[in-house]
Amino acid sequence: MTRKSLLTATTAGLMLGLLAAQAIADSSTRVALVPGGPHPYFAAWEQAGVDAAKDFGLGAADYRVPQKWELSMQNQMLESLVTQGYNAFLVFPGDPVGTVAIANELAGTGAPVMALAGCLQDPSDAKFCMGTDTGNSAYLGTKELLEVLGPDAKIAHFTGFLVDPNTQLRIDAVEQAAGEGGAEVVQVIADIDAPEPAEEKINAYLAAHAGEIDGIITTAWVPAVVASNALRKLGDKRIKMVGIDHDEVVINAIRDGYVHGTMLQNPYGQGYIGSFVADRLRSGCTVKEDAPFKTIALTDKFIDSGTVFAGIDAVDNYVGSMQTITAELFDGFEDTYLDCS
Amino acid sequence: MTNIEQKNAPSPSAMGAQPTARQMGVVQRFLLSNEFGLIVLIVLFTIVFASISPMFLSNFSLYAMGRTAAVNIMIGFSMMVVIITGGLNLGVGAIGVCGAMFSGWLMQAAGFHWVPACFGGLTLGAMLGTANGVMIVKSGLHSFIITLATMSVMFGAMIFITQAGSFREISPAFSALGRTKILNVLSPMLLTSVVIGILLWAAFKYTTIGREILAAGANPKAAELSGIRVDRMVTYAHALSGVLAVVAGLMLVSRTGAAIPSMAGQLGQDWLLPAFLGPVLGGNLLTGGRISVLGTFLGAFLVTMLTTGLLLMQVGAFWVQTYLGLLLLLAVLLDLARRSYLARNKLV
Repeated sequence: MTRKSLLTATTAGLMLGLLAAQAIADSSTRVALVPGGPHPYFAAWEQAGVDAAKDFGLGAADYRVPQKWELSMQNQMLESLVTQGYNAFLVFPGDPVGTVAIANELAGTGAPVMALAGCLQDPSDAKFCMGTDTGNSAYLGTKELLEVLGPDAKIAHFTGFLVDPNTQLRIDAVEQAAGEGGAEVVQVIADIDAPEPAEEKINAYLAAHAGEIDGIITTAWVPAVVASNALRKLGDKRIKMVGIDHDEVVINAIRDGYVHGTMLQNPYGQGYIGSFVADRLRSGCTVKEDAPFKTIALTDKFIDSGTVFAGIDAVDNYVGSMQTITAELFDGFEDTYLDCS
Repeated sequence: MTNIEQKNAPSPSAMGAQPTARQMGVVQRFLLSNEFGLIVLIVLFTIVFASISPMFLSNFSLYAMGRTAAVNIMIGFSMMVVIITGGLNLGVGAIGVCGAMFSGWLMQAAGFHWVPACFGGLTLGAMLGTANGVMIVKSGLHSFIITLATMSVMFGAMIFITQAGSFREISPAFSALGRTKILNVLSPMLLTSVVIGILLWAAFKYTTIGREILAAGANPKAAELSGIRVDRMVTYAHALSGVLAVVAGLMLVSRTGAAIPSMAGQLGQDWLLPAFLGPVLGGNLLTGGRISVLGTFLGAFLVTMLTTGLLLMQVGAFWVQTYLGLLLLLAVLLDLARRSYLARNKLV
C-alpha cells in the first residue's frame, strides 16, 4: 500500500469513525422521565436523565413533572409528550391500575414504556418495573429499628397515602417484622405524605403519646422529615427512629443522634439505567423471556433498584452508597435482562 | 267573518319586519354574551397555539384534548346545576368516584352487564346527591358546609369499603368507548358531553321542573310565594348533580379501563377546580337563577385547551399553573374589552 492510499484509507477510516460516533451521539431516542407529580424523591431523575443523555448519546432524556399530583394531569402530560416527539417513557404510575391504559397507548405508538419507582398492575404493556421493593424496604428498616430497641418494644409507624397500594404493603411488612421481633406496632398513621397533614398528625401524636412509644418507623418521605424535626424539637433521644430516603433534614438528624438511620432508595439509578435501557430497546434489543425478574404484589416483572440502610457510620457517604448500588445494578444489566443479539 | 280575519291579519310587510327585529335582538344578545366571548377566545388561542406548535392541531392532539375536555365538561355541568340554585357542591369528586366505584364493583364482583352497572352507579349518584339536598334543606345550613362534610364521609366510606382497591375487570365494550376514535380525531366521550349538554339545555328551557329550579335559585322567597316548592327543587338539583358527577366518573372508568379510588384524588378534590372554572367562565351566576349550558361547555373546553397548549409549548412544569391563571385573566379582560368596544361603538 502506498503512502497516499494509506493516508486516504486512514482518513476515510477516521471519517467513518467520526460519522459513526456522530450517529451514536445523535441517537433519535428521546426519553421522557415522568413522575406522578412534584415530590423530592424524584428530583434525582433530572440529573440521571442529563447524565444518561451525555453518557449514552441520547437525543434527550428530559425530566418532565406534572404540576400537580393528579392522574388526569399526568395523563394529559404524557399525551402531550407523544405529540412533542418523545419516543420512550419512564413513568412513575399515578395509579398502578389507572395508568395502565395510557401506558398501553404509549406502547401502542411503538415507544418502550417502563414503570419506575412504582409499578403498574399486571397485565400491562410496560417492559418491566424498576423500583424499590417497598415491602422489603419497610421490613428491613423495622428490623434495623428492632435491633437497637430489643424485644417488647412499642413502635409507631408513619406512612404514605392510603390510595397508594404500596402503603398497605408497607403496613403489612412493618407488622410482620415487628411480630417476628417480639415488638408491637401501637399506632399506624397513614395518609400523611404531604407537609400539612404530616405536621398536624405527627406532632399531635407525639405531644400526647411520646412517652408511650420506644421507636418510630417512617416509610414515606414527608413523614420521615416531619418526624425527624419533631424528635429534634422534643430533644429526647430515647425514642429511636428509622426513616426513609435522603432528605437533608433526616441526614442531619442522623448525624446529631436524633434518628437512628434511614433506608436509602435509588432514584438516580432508576433514571440513569432506565434511560439507557430505553435506548437499547429502541435500538433493537428485546427484554429476555427468561430474565430473572422478581415477583411482587403488582407485577411479575420487577427489578429491585436497591435499598440500603444508612446509619451514623454511613451517613456521611450516603451519596457513595447510592452510587455503589447503581454501579452494581448497571454492571451486567444488559447481559442479564436484555437480548441484543 | 272573512273580512274580520283579514282585518286582524298582520300585513305581509309587518310579518316580514317583526321576525327580523327579533332576530337582530337575538344576534345582539349573543354578541354580548359570555358564550360568544368564549368562542372568540377559543378561536384566538387555537390560532396562537397552532402557529407556535403545528402539532397542536394534529389528530392525536385534538383527540386527546377532546377526551380530556369531555370529563372536565361533565364535572362543570355537575357543579353548574347546583350553582344555579345559589348553592355549591364540594362533593362532586367524592360522589363521582363513589358512583364509578360502585359501577366497577357491579361489573367485576357482581358480574353485571355494563349497562345496568352504569345505571346502578348513576342511581347511587342520585341517591348521594339527594342525601346532600335533604340535609341542606332540613338543616338550613349552606350547601358549602354540608357538602364539605359529606365529601369526607362519602369518600372515607368508599375507601373503607374498597380498602383502596381497584376494579379492573371492566367490560371491554365499555372500556372501548374511552379509546375509540371517530374519524381518527373525535372521542365518543366528547359526543356524550355534547348530547348531555343539549339535554340539560332543553330540560332547563322547556320543562316545568327545570324552570322551577331556576326560579328557586333566582329568588327563593318569590318562588315560594309563586307556589314553587323550593326545598324540593334544591334537592332535585343536588340529585342531578350527583348523576352528572357519576357520568364524569364513568367516563374516567372507560378511559382508564378500571374503577380506581384515586381517580379524583384525595377526597375527590382534584375535581374542584374544573368544577368551578367551567360554570364561572361560562357566565353562570354564583348567586343562582341563571344557567348557561353552552357557556359551561365552552368554559371547560377553553381551560382544557389552554392546559394542552401550554404543555405543548413546553412551558416549565411549575409555570403551567401560573400561565394558566394569567391566560384566564387575559381571557376575561379580553372579553370585557370586547363588550366595552361593542357598547361604545353602539354596535349592539
